Amino acid sequence: MLGQLIVSSLVVGSIYALLALAMSITYKASEVPNFAQGEMAMISTFMAFVMLSSYGLPFYAAMLITVVFAFVLGLLLEFLFLRRAKMPTPLNLIVITIGFQLMLYGFAGWKWGSDQRQINLPFSESKVIFQNDIFALTELNLATLIIAVVVLVVIYLLIQRTKLGLAMKACQQNINASRMNGISANRIMAITFGISSVVGAMAGILVAPILTLDPSMMWDPLLKGFAAAVLGGMKSLHGVVIGGLLLGLVENLFGFYISIEFKSVVAFAIIVLILYFKPSGLFDKHYVRKV
Amino acid sequence: MAFFQIDNLSKSFGGLKAVDQLDFQVQEKEIFSIIGPNGAGKSTIFNCINGLYKPEQGKILFKGNNLIGRRPDQIASAGIARTFQNLELFAHMTTLDNIMLGRHLSMKASIAAVLGLSFKRSKAAKEELQHRRKVEEIIDFLELESARDQFVSNLPYGKQKLVELGRALALEPDLLLLDEPAAGLTQEEREDMVFWIKDIRDLLGITVILIEHNMQMVQNISDRILAINFGKPITTGTPEEVLGHPEVIRAYLGEDITQV
Amino acid sequence: MRNLKTDYFEDLQLFKDGLQLFWSAVLLLLLFALPFFVKTYYLTIINLMAVNVVVALGLNLLVGNTGQISLGHAGFVAIGAYTTVLLLKAGVPFIFALTASGLVTGLFGVLLGIPSLKLEGPYLAIATLAFGLAVTTVIGRMDFLGGRMGMNVPKISLGWTGLKYDQSLYYVIIIITILAVIATRNLLKSRIGRAFQAIRDSDIAASAIGINLTKYKLYSFGISAFFAGIAGSLWALYLGFINPTLFSFILSINFLVIIVLGGLGSITGSVMGAIVLTYLNLQLEDVVEIPILGDALLRFSELFMTATGVSNVSWFLTGFILILVVLFEPLGLYGLWLRTKIYWKRWPF
Repeated sequence: MLGQLIVSSLVVGSIYALLALAMSITYKASEVPNFAQGEMAMISTFMAFVMLSSYGLPFYAAMLITVVFAFVLGLLLEFLFLRRAKMPTPLNLIVITIGFQLMLYGFAGWKWGSDQRQINLPFSESKVIFQNDIFALTELNLATLIIAVVVLVVIYLLIQRTKLGLAMKACQQNINASRMNGISANRIMAITFGISSVVGAMAGILVAPILTLDPSMMWDPLLKGFAAAVLGGMKSLHGVVIGGLLLGLVENLFGFYISIEFKSVVAFAIIVLILYFKPSGLFDKHYVRKV
Repeated sequence: MAFFQIDNLSKSFGGLKAVDQLDFQVQEKEIFSIIGPNGAGKSTIFNCINGLYKPEQGKILFKGNNLIGRRPDQIASAGIARTFQNLELFAHMTTLDNIMLGRHLSMKASIAAVLGLSFKRSKAAKEELQHRRKVEEIIDFLELESARDQFVSNLPYGKQKLVELGRALALEPDLLLLDEPAAGLTQEEREDMVFWIKDIRDLLGITVILIEHNMQMVQNISDRILAINFGKPITTGTPEEVLGHPEVIRAYLGEDITQV
Repeated sequence: MRNLKTDYFEDLQLFKDGLQLFWSAVLLLLLFALPFFVKTYYLTIINLMAVNVVVALGLNLLVGNTGQISLGHAGFVAIGAYTTVLLLKAGVPFIFALTASGLVTGLFGVLLGIPSLKLEGPYLAIATLAFGLAVTTVIGRMDFLGGRMGMNVPKISLGWTGLKYDQSLYYVIIIITILAVIATRNLLKSRIGRAFQAIRDSDIAASAIGINLTKYKLYSFGISAFFAGIAGSLWALYLGFINPTLFSFILSINFLVIIVLGGLGSITGSVMGAIVLTYLNLQLEDVVEIPILGDALLRFSELFMTATGVSNVSWFLTGFILILVVLFEPLGLYGLWLRTKIYWKRWPF
């Protein structure tokens, strides 16, 4: 049983990890936890649903369109709203993302009502594809793990090996110096939000079959993703991924062995406890301002 | 027993020894300057005295009491006030409120008591007014009247430096630590600053330790000077002794010039 | 008009001048006369506004003045509400139940403050969010708190006033709200309020001038929670029924939105934000009822969206208004008020 628990923890954890990564990418760039992340993922998932169900597109075409859509959504948040803030203090920017979250939530409810829908992915959540004495793996489980790993690798390569990644890092370190060295910091910021939105959308599509497709579907996963990011250390990309997996593990083990009702609360309690000793998460250095 | 004394103080960041087995003493009512090139560890000394950093070893004795391990607010209440190299003002508050904050330690009104602040007879109001008078004296002293009700972030740099000095004075400290009080000031403002620092010692009887790069000012104002480099003392003595010391000249101007 | 001050006390007194005193008296008179010529429905709206004002005052103290974020204030309101209900059921007189609710909630505020002392930004956000979540989950599991089903709130004895229950309750809420405004104002003008703002602007300098950061951050958490507890107590009374879902994360966000909309760090802002957002929420709830515009919206929804989901327009608009405020008036309604005042003072120049 423990083996099965660990495997399902990894599956859930990799979804948390994707959401945490999405939050971390933009947080590193802008110091703003994006509260609209979940709703952006939700809208993108609805987009995939419409492409698949209403237009009957093949899966890969629908994915492609969804990725482009998610990217543009991220760009728009940055370009239309965040960039225009008169006083870009962290709190003001947070409130902008909350406003965007409410807008998207309202829009989705308005457009699609509160009916619960089912998204049809080419991998089923019930069909077991692999089984041994210790654990069983469904098609969806496997697809989740594979997609998560692919996204992580792509993001890693993007940041470590491309000119774009270098520019993103430069802007995180010192945005004015980057501007003076010819980097269009605004464009980089918008692209960063776009990439983050795509990563979030992947998580959205992967949770949709487990949950039902409705406007509030991402609330709980996003809170967990945010918590995972904080656990790992918002600014550490590998930290947030480990944070996601850890959170999945803690939650599932506690839920199985002790109480399913309190599993979220306990997960949060553990995070608060860890933050008490490591105020900037497990893998991020605590920064003390110099005078 | 010296008024203020540092014994064998060391503080490092990672492998870098910012302060390395440093000793010095300051007498009461002295103006004592610490000089040294950038990165020599001057501000680190202040941060250790003031409790922001925990040194690895050594003692900081103030009137015979060791300050190591105390929090910054406890050190402030022991009678040590300071200013900062890059200004740490309360930017969204007025000059008046900034200096009033310097009176925080002397004011005692509790949460329950301050609820009566709007009644003239209340204890909180009486206390507030009594300290307000004190603060107005400081505003007079530093000639900050025109800035009184302005937000400090809107003031010119020179005035901001004065507000910070005023806030430190409001603590009525026995020892005042000034971190580069003249940096960024115009010639005229710097001359005024020299005048005020002397007044602070002569009229208010406050002992002053200052960090400063402007040698003319240091020479003009100090009773004694400590020169340090790489966290270690080079020499201590009167301005003439220290500023003429070959090692000091080398530390400031580089190897080649002394050889010429 | 007299511009020069002759006494330092003029900076402390409640009313700047006779004119301000006059207008405050008019407002007060109006508030007290209201129950005699409006319907009960409008009184409940004002009650809700007043309760939100009390929460906003406390939250603004923590967020706007001390610079600590909280995404868990609904949890504090819940603690206040449940404490009151338990005590009222036990037969404790309301005035004691109210005080106890404030104090108990304040204690929870201090308890939450302890692990949060070193936390900043998103880390503090998560810790407070976790707290809010924990409160409602735990309450939902406790049978003596009514579990998920909730509890009825006993009516308090206000018969001695000789008025109808709703009217008396309105007076109770209004009086407490006014006291809360005055208390906050005096607190912020005092050494304690200044210490809060000092921590917000530079914690390093604050500690260097002798402010004990631990003590004052806990004060701020405690006082902020105290206000939320008082508000919770009042809210329970006028709702008459409480359950855990009332105090969701969305409510915490709603409180945060109130103070940002009103103006961070400003008492006037807290009051204006609470009044305007409460009104807006109520108006947008039945957006289809609005004449002409509502019809057009419904037609549009049938064509392009869904008619069943039309109530969701309120979310969309709230979000949009929120963004507009931050983009164009970052100091919130208070900033707008200040600018209008300056404009009229200078007019016609």
